Amino acid sequence: MRWRGRLGRVAAAVVALSALASCSARAGDATEANCPIEDGELFVLMAQSVPSATLIPCIESLPAGWSYGGSDVSNTVARFWLNSDRGGLHAVEVSLEASCRITGSVDVTNSTSEGGVRVYLNEFDLHPFSANKYFVFPGGCVTYRYRFGPEAEATLALEADEAVTFGLRTVLVAQVQDELGLTLCGAGAPPCVGGE
Amino acid sequence: MDTTTEGSEQGRRRDPDHPEQRRRPSGEPPALPHELGRSGKFFLLLVLYFIIVISAFLVFPSLESVFERWDHTRQQWITDLRTPGLTRVMLVVNGMTSSWTIRVIRWSVLLALIVFRRWRHLFVFLGAIIVTEIVAYNASTIIARPRPLGIPILTGWQGYSMPSRPMAGLAVSAVGAMYTLIVAGHARSIAKWAIGVVLVLVGFARLYLGVDHATDIVMGAVFGVAVAVASFRLFVPNDLFPVSYKRGKAAHLDIGGRRGEAIITAIRDQLGLSVLDVKPVGLEGSGGSTPLRIKVEATHDEPERYVFAKLYAKSHVRADRWYKLGRTILYGALEDEKPFQSVRRFVEYEDYTLRLMHELGIAVPRPYGIVEITPEREYMIVMEFFEGAVEIGDAEIDDGVIDQGLGLVRKMWDEGLAHRDVKPANLMVRDGELKVIDVFFVQIRPSPWRQAVDLANMMLVLALRSDAERVYAHALTYFSEDEIAEAFAAARGVASPTQLRNNLKQDGRDLLAAFRRMAPEREEVSIQRWSVRRVLLTVGVLLVAWLALGLVVSNWNAFA
Repeated sequence: MRWRGRLGRVAAAVVALSALASCSARAGDATEANCPIEDGELFVLMAQSVPSATLIPCIESLPAGWSYGGSDVSNTVARFWLNSDRGGLHAVEVSLEASCRITGSVDVTNSTSEGGVRVYLNEFDLHPFSANKYFVFPGGCVTYRYRFGPEAEATLALEADEAVTFGLRTVLVAQVQDELGLTLCGAGAPPCVGGE
Repeated sequence: MDTTTEGSEQGRRRDPDHPEQRRRPSGEPPALPHELGRSGKFFLLLVLYFIIVISAFLVFPSLESVFERWDHTRQQWITDLRTPGLTRVMLVVNGMTSSWTIRVIRWSVLLALIVFRRWRHLFVFLGAIIVTEIVAYNASTIIARPRPLGIPILTGWQGYSMPSRPMAGLAVSAVGAMYTLIVAGHARSIAKWAIGVVLVLVGFARLYLGVDHATDIVMGAVFGVAVAVASFRLFVPNDLFPVSYKRGKAAHLDIGGRRGEAIITAIRDQLGLSVLDVKPVGLEGSGGSTPLRIKVEATHDEPERYVFAKLYAKSHVRADRWYKLGRTILYGALEDEKPFQSVRRFVEYEDYTLRLMHELGIAVPRPYGIVEITPEREYMIVMEFFEGAVEIGDAEIDDGVIDQGLGLVRKMWDEGLAHRDVKPANLMVRDGELKVIDVFFVQIRPSPWRQAVDLANMMLVLALRSDAERVYAHALTYFSEDEIAEAFAAARGVASPTQLRNNLKQDGRDLLAAFRRMAPEREEVSIQRWSVRRVLLTVGVLLVAWLALGLVVSNWNAFA
């Protein structure tokens, strides 16, 4: 956890950011969702967002033409999104929730799927390409929401699929315990007290 | 022992007429020392706390875990109190930071400000909210501190925890509401305490619910309050833009309490005059200072009498700066003046122009000097009070007064001066003698246009209480026909003070046209002058306005 390491940049960065008219309260850090999850503060927040989730999505590497768009984490859902020079802004959104509605979805889980992750697909359309892909695992569900621009090829989705992967929550729990001596409440951690 | 001997013993020769006059020795505080109040000191301590915390992390990175655990321990003291009943209460209290509550506060304030047409307050309120939202959000993403660890979180949240954005949002909205809607004084003091209590309660609730750390809460609240206080004190200071629900203008410094005592002490020490009474006077006609009528005891050389004083503070310098910026953009090089950099320079300039005109024999009040109330923050300029004088609009105007008015302008022309604010409120008549007051706008070696406008305005003021033909006939004694033609070619619209324009409208006669008919034909003098500075300023202001609009639009989610 290196949030304290960034404090020094706060004053200058805040002034610079605030001076920009175009900046809105939705801008994001370009590297905050990069794997491994134990290196990023965003993942602790995501783990707090869905305490039951045993897996946490992260970006392994961005293919050429793709960029990180931003993140939005609350107590019910954690999401980040990717922009593409061909697929457009917000081309893929990756969200983590405790559960997903998969009614009417097609089970596309393949034989190599690990850790009990089942994959489903729905709202599939080729022109322009759009689809929802669900990764259901113990305690949580990750949704890839593809919404490409009219000119984008459907094969672009494969690039996005390769960019995003999952990290184990237990690794994060251990990291927080080692570094701060505190418990990241939820799956893979000892029970937190004080919940009345 | 006579006065001289006594004075010599103390190392100086006292002025026998003003024996109470004394120099403030080194180390003695001024009449009204600039001091932070209790709330200011508390606020400063909190800012210091954050500086120490941030600096400590920079120097000793390993402190993070110590700090996290320290914050966690403080939080556990509170979360150990959790019971089902108390949790329900805390959830209700925490509702104060819900986006809906904050929206209701913000929209209520905006609607009230629209109803009361308090536009300046409205824009500052909008600006303070947007700045708070943007800076708090960006700071939270850069600091990237997760929510409290080791305890279950019992309520909803959004994003990183430090600073607490709901606390910042509530603080800036509540303090903004107070500064825009509540009249300064007792009511506002009560409101400050009430807001403080609410913030403490809500902060406690958020700590109890485990949604923020203690440091996040304090940082958010301090930041929200700081932005609101700084914005309103800087852009809509109460002494210039007071919140009032009564008719009329009351944009003035409070002269009661410590300031009132300081005024009395300062006048005694610095001018050697014993003050018997201080009263605000002519507040309606004055926006740039706080005018006072002060009754002073008799001295050896003068009987008991009134003196006139104008109290200036830093806010007046800021207002003058905005005024000059606006005039430069609207009228260009004709009003292209440099603003004053300090309140000391501000009063020094007026004192200088007053002394200059007095020395030249122009009928201005006799100057008594400058009185320091708080160094570099508040000064007072003291001068003769024209007791028994009436505004020219209420006086009988005979040929003598007309001649004095025209002679006054001639004198200023000859001495290379322009008054620049010739209007009925600044011309007084006492026993058939014309007096000029308010010399703040006097300019040395002004543009010929400015001098010409002075003449036109003086002729219009005189004609309001007589007639154009009579004034024109007298004017020919002092000015050539060409000079009068130039004056009325220059005096167009905004060149005349607002009060004079209003009086001309009420009068009904088209005096301007009457004078122009009598004077020789002359092409109108354009009041617009373009310069690189004016263009850059205009572009700059438009750019800032555009950016501000962009900020409002892109952050509309703070309101909608």
